[in-house]
Amino acid sequence: MTTVDARAVTGVAARVRRDPALAAAVATLWLLLALFVVYPLAMLLARIFWDHGELSVAGLASVLTDRHQIRAFANSLLLALFVGVFGTLLGFLFAFTAARCRLPRAIVSTIDASVLLPLVSPPFTTAIGLIFSFGPRGLITYGLLGIKGFTVYGMGSTMLAETLTYFPIAYLTLRPMLAAIDPNIEGMALSLGASRRRVFRTVTLPLCIPGLANAFLLLFAASLADFATPLILGGNQFPVLPTQAYLQITGLFDFRGGAVLSFVLLVPALAVFLLQRQWVGRRFYVTITGKGAGQTPFDSVAPGVRWLLLAACIAVASLIVYLYALLLYASLVVALGANHAFTLQHYRVIFTEGLKPIHDTLIIAALATPLGGLYGVLLGYLVARKLFPGRRSMEAVSMINYALPGTIVGIAYLIAFNDPPFVLTGTALLIVACYVFRYGPTGIRTTIALLQQIDRSLEEASLGLGARSGTTFRRVTLPLILPAFFAGLGVVFIRSMTAISATIFLVSIGWTLITVKILENITELALGPAAAFSVLVVVIVFVVIAGIGRALRLLRAQGAPPVTSMLGGWSRP
Amino acid sequence: MMQAVGLRIDGLSKRFAHGVKGEVYAARDVSLDVQPGEFLTLLGPSGCGKTTTLRMIAGFERPDAGRIFFGGRDVTDLAANDRGIGFVFQNYALFPHLSIFENIAYGLRVRGQDGDSIIRAVSEVMALVGLSGYEQQFPAQLSGGEQQRVALARAIVIRPRVLLFDEPLSNLDAKLRVQMRAEIRALQRRLAITTVYVTHDQEEAMAVSDRIALMNRGTIVQVGTAQDLYHRPASAFVAQFVGRVNMVAGHLEQSASVSALGRHFVLHEIPPGVASGDPVRLVLRPEGFALSRGPIANGAVAAKVLSRTFLGEKIEYELDCLGERLQSVRYNAGAGALFEEGETIALRCTDETVIALKEENP
Ligand SMILES: Nc1ncnc2c1ncn2[C@@H]1O[C@H](COP(=O)(O)OP(=O)(O)O)[C@@H](O)[C@H]1O
Ligand SMILES: [Mg+2]
Repeated sequence: MTTVDARAVTGVAARVRRDPALAAAVATLWLLLALFVVYPLAMLLARIFWDHGELSVAGLASVLTDRHQIRAFANSLLLALFVGVFGTLLGFLFAFTAARCRLPRAIVSTIDASVLLPLVSPPFTTAIGLIFSFGPRGLITYGLLGIKGFTVYGMGSTMLAETLTYFPIAYLTLRPMLAAIDPNIEGMALSLGASRRRVFRTVTLPLCIPGLANAFLLLFAASLADFATPLILGGNQFPVLPTQAYLQITGLFDFRGGAVLSFVLLVPALAVFLLQRQWVGRRFYVTITGKGAGQTPFDSVAPGVRWLLLAACIAVASLIVYLYALLLYASLVVALGANHAFTLQHYRVIFTEGLKPIHDTLIIAALATPLGGLYGVLLGYLVARKLFPGRRSMEAVSMINYALPGTIVGIAYLIAFNDPPFVLTGTALLIVACYVFRYGPTGIRTTIALLQQIDRSLEEASLGLGARSGTTFRRVTLPLILPAFFAGLGVVFIRSMTAISATIFLVSIGWTLITVKILENITELALGPAAAFSVLVVVIVFVVIAGIGRALRLLRAQGAPPVTSMLGGWSRP
Repeated sequence: MMQAVGLRIDGLSKRFAHGVKGEVYAARDVSLDVQPGEFLTLLGPSGCGKTTTLRMIAGFERPDAGRIFFGGRDVTDLAANDRGIGFVFQNYALFPHLSIFENIAYGLRVRGQDGDSIIRAVSEVMALVGLSGYEQQFPAQLSGGEQQRVALARAIVIRPRVLLFDEPLSNLDAKLRVQMRAEIRALQRRLAITTVYVTHDQEEAMAVSDRIALMNRGTIVQVGTAQDLYHRPASAFVAQFVGRVNMVAGHLEQSASVSALGRHFVLHEIPPGVASGDPVRLVLRPEGFALSRGPIANGAVAAKVLSRTFLGEKIEYELDCLGERLQSVRYNAGAGALFEEGETIALRCTDETVIALKEENP
């Protein structure tokens, strides 16, 4: 490997001459990465540490000594810790039930579908459902129990909403992990005389620890970066860093303050990202013993426990379905909690006054999706297959916007592209670029993972048969990485429709987004239109994702390695 | 040393749902009687139900019908963890998160033994399988053969009443396979543990077993020693599965003889249910032919060499003898003794080398 790299470095000029297309592609990608990843981050840091021509930590110091901000920081960590722990537990409960309880397929897919709902909707949808249930006019607190003045806002509801929103990520990472454990290993422990409970405690659980740690870190990062849920549910009692940064900028127009606050967020976010990649990534035990038989060698759980687990899963899944049903219901009545007469008025509102955000969002998604998919596959392919100098750093740089909380990226873009030389504020291009470079990396990872499973000799065989490298790419490589392309498309599309944390800083009068509009509606207490918008987003995403999923199945070359689904790439909201 | 117990299974059946055929029998009315301390092998082609039968004995799979007895005690309704078995899987199934020592100690810890006796027992068994010094390693650091030994040590350290193996050697390379099977056999003799061993490799089965139960399509077709199966196959399937054969059709004539390959074979045993004039099949093993250059006389017939495969220690010939294609094998008797393709040579076979079987589809 090292000798090959050395040759690659010394032969740059020769390579450019030999493969001008590669050189052009690499140069273009570096330019784009410099402009949309490195530059904004540098500008953000400059804004924080550069004061009137000199280096200064005064801005940072003022935040670190402000008790209110310290509290927000502590709240953020507390919230992330809670969501990490409970979301992982909940995810494990679902994963274990699905993988070990020998449930009929129909039950598993029903649970799957309901659990995955939060992943295809705007991140604050659960929060809206909670307000409908437990808010001042909530169906349960006010309507059912007749409690007046009950306050849903605060730490508890924020934690509940985020746990429900993000635990499916844990489920998606833990379930394949459990399925990959060779069932004979558990069977072996049983045959050596261990009880089921002991097998679970001494074998199953220890084998899952890296997966649990991974899930915890993913949820911790997701919660740390989440901005919409605390904004809606946190209220004044429960400020967290992302909302503080947002208010600093939109309320006080204090860019520097917002930048500093987001920078404070960067430290734990980066720590978690590095931990996840370096530590957890290496500690997977996988199946060192080769292929598992695929069948559980025995009933891993006692019948009583099995029913208990199933009941717990059904309860949680029902809660989610209930929240979404409520959303649908709220979009179809005059005013939930006050007047339950059927009406289509909210939909009329969103398709007249609200037409612009719908129109804008769809255009932006339509631009970002193919670009993001292409970017992911291209960069992933080059990094995995072409020996050009600096490909490791290119991969690392491409991951930055993906690893950072959206608030930081949004503020960095806002600061960087507000002033010359690159004035892009308020343009669709900026929002599109934000999505491409923030969510495209899922496609990069999928492509690299896929290409690592495909032996290089396959391409060499084609070259050996006389096909030129262009033909080889088209006839051999492309069909094999097409699934990664579609998976990348799916992720970018879902996020373009549902994300808010970064792009809320980038919307303008010219270009706005549905998610931002929903947030406005909620703050104006126009909950009906907010519900109608949310339903619309869920429906659009569902339809498009189902379409892409179909294409994925049709286009997957016979025998090509499977890709983790689009939702599997959902590690960082 | 623990008293060895016998193992008896009586009419075991197991059905599985099958996508196309609805339900299929993986095992059908399987009965066996394994003596205390005996090494019995379930042999058969892939998919014939060996693993299923073994897993029912282990308690991983619940039989649809039939009973299982360990030393006269009915264990059919006991869970795997209450049967006192040792199981060695094809893929070893070592606990990847535990050291070699802890892997082997697992069953003892489950039994609540105290620390000192665990250390003593584990060290003893590790020495027995030649793994001393590996205590603190982890499974991923070991080679396939070493992992196999750990799996074996882990299964025998608990002094199981019955030791079960499911194709334990199939992940090893050919040389190691031969070495390990000898070790397994020696260990089993020494510990005198009643053993059921599953393999699809007939040579391996013959090398290790006291007796072999040959299975086909979920049922046992013949039980006996390796010699029984090889020399007295009960059916064409057995003859073909255990060793290689040439099958030649003929008719039973008066005085228990069959004419084939230009001579009369006098049978030392007439297959049951066959009367004079009935069609029979003669089984001729490739190593049973005597081949030589020189005149076709003294009961020899002419055979033409169609092809030759040189394998070093032995040479395989494909022959044409009176229109029959015959496989033949000879030990290498030197460079001068090789026959050339196209050459006509003398072929002899004796009455002792033939077995007659009833024609199954006349
Ligand atoms: N869990 C199972 N579900 C469905 N069919 C099975 C299962 N286990 C085994 N079978 C089927 O039963 C038959 C016997 O399998 P097995 O006992 O594994 O055979 P062997 O070990 O001799 O190769 C095969 O046809 C196999 O496909
Ligand atoms: Mg088998």
